[in-house]
Amino acid sequence: MMSSKDFFLSRYEKLGWQYQEPNVKQAIRINKTNAKSKQILERLGRSGVELEKVPFLEQGYWVENSKVSVGATAEYLLGYYSVQEAAAQIPATLFTSLKGKRVLDAAAAPGGKTVQLADLMEYSGILAALDVDKRRVNALSNHLERCHVRNCVVFLLDARLAGQLKVQFDRVLLDLPCSGNFASDREWFSRRTFEDVERNAKLQREILAKAVDCLGTDGEIVYSTCSLEPEEDELNIDWAIRSLNLEIQEVNSYGQNGLTNIFGKQLDPSIKRCRRIWPGETQGFFVCKLKRSTKP
Amino acid sequence: MKAKAITNFAAQLGVEIALNADFIVERNGRYFLINSALKSFVARDYYYAGIFLGKVKGGKFFPSFNLLGMLAKQEANRVVVDSKAAWLFVCGRDILGKSVQRFYGSGKRNTNVLVLNEFAECLGFGRIVANLSSSSTKNEIAVKNVSDIGDFLRRER
Repeated sequence: MMSSKDFFLSRYEKLGWQYQEPNVKQAIRINKTNAKSKQILERLGRSGVELEKVPFLEQGYWVENSKVSVGATAEYLLGYYSVQEAAAQIPATLFTSLKGKRVLDAAAAPGGKTVQLADLMEYSGILAALDVDKRRVNALSNHLERCHVRNCVVFLLDARLAGQLKVQFDRVLLDLPCSGNFASDREWFSRRTFEDVERNAKLQREILAKAVDCLGTDGEIVYSTCSLEPEEDELNIDWAIRSLNLEIQEVNSYGQNGLTNIFGKQLDPSIKRCRRIWPGETQGFFVCKLKRSTKP
Repeated sequence: MKAKAITNFAAQLGVEIALNADFIVERNGRYFLINSALKSFVARDYYYAGIFLGKVKGGKFFPSFNLLGMLAKQEANRVVVDSKAAWLFVCGRDILGKSVQRFYGSGKRNTNVLVLNEFAECLGFGRIVANLSSSSTKNEIAVKNVSDIGDFLRRER
């Protein structure tokens, strides 16, 4: 019988990717509303933290070498930067503009992207952050306090119930619960089954459908997962553009085009506007930007 | 009055602050400062909103680091400490007299002071336990740590 690892790796091969040992680098993101990048880079440099700019991110830096834990410096505790994996920094940057907007982060905890959204909003407008797990919501709240975020309201609420807020949002981030990927979890192959993938894909479709109901006129949704499984990525988006009257927007982002043929099934050609990131210097990731279709 | 615990704490640090009670909301003993945009949102069952100011537990007020940072900008009683002492303070340690570079306020024993690093960043607060002006107490503990930003890490354990 095929092992779980062989099963998933054979799927990736069929999708055109040959397994390579990932070398995911630790990354930080400077909170530009709280601090000037130059000063923080100088201070961290004096503490023995060697950083390299992530070429595809405005505020992201890879930690090349460090004499101290970057998650325990005074600058970190003062909210000047967050520890956030490079690919995970992409989704929030894909929105057209965020200042003064009503923004929903539908699956927010532990809050790395929530703080990033608040930073890009320069603490203007309203940021509603939802999560279902009380422990994780607590971690999210600590993250908001540490980074001095002041435009956010957190609700202990299932993303599928976002309609209860009775708000039409201008921007919706759906960084959804997913199966994850082996680059960020050493035990991933022994932990995951295809049933997990199917269950997560179903939950993601449910959340996406409800999010569309909360989307205001000319609103934007950014959908992302850290799963490499097409059921949670391209196939879900193909379903969304057919069933929810959404269209995929072009994005200028790191990553390969979304796959338009999944195991022989031909998808909508616009799926290529999505971005798929195979593991390497970053973890595996998938992201796309959606708007209501202008077609009748 | 909702803001009383907060203004009382600020007064202990020598700062008089005027808070508009309309923009202070309380949730399970935790106090938040919100703006008018957030006001309609907190009519619902929220968990956290705007700026967390602190919590009341067992009748005692525990300030947030956001509130301490706000008070630091209002010229509250404070000590500025050297870089080594600043780091040790963040790790939960007390401050020796010799590490205090400057202090502002009365410097009286048993009063609270904010603890600032060389960049005037607020790292927390403590209680004065020795004469800050005296050279004879330089090797003694001058400020007992009450609360420091290293708490963000300790909370996650």
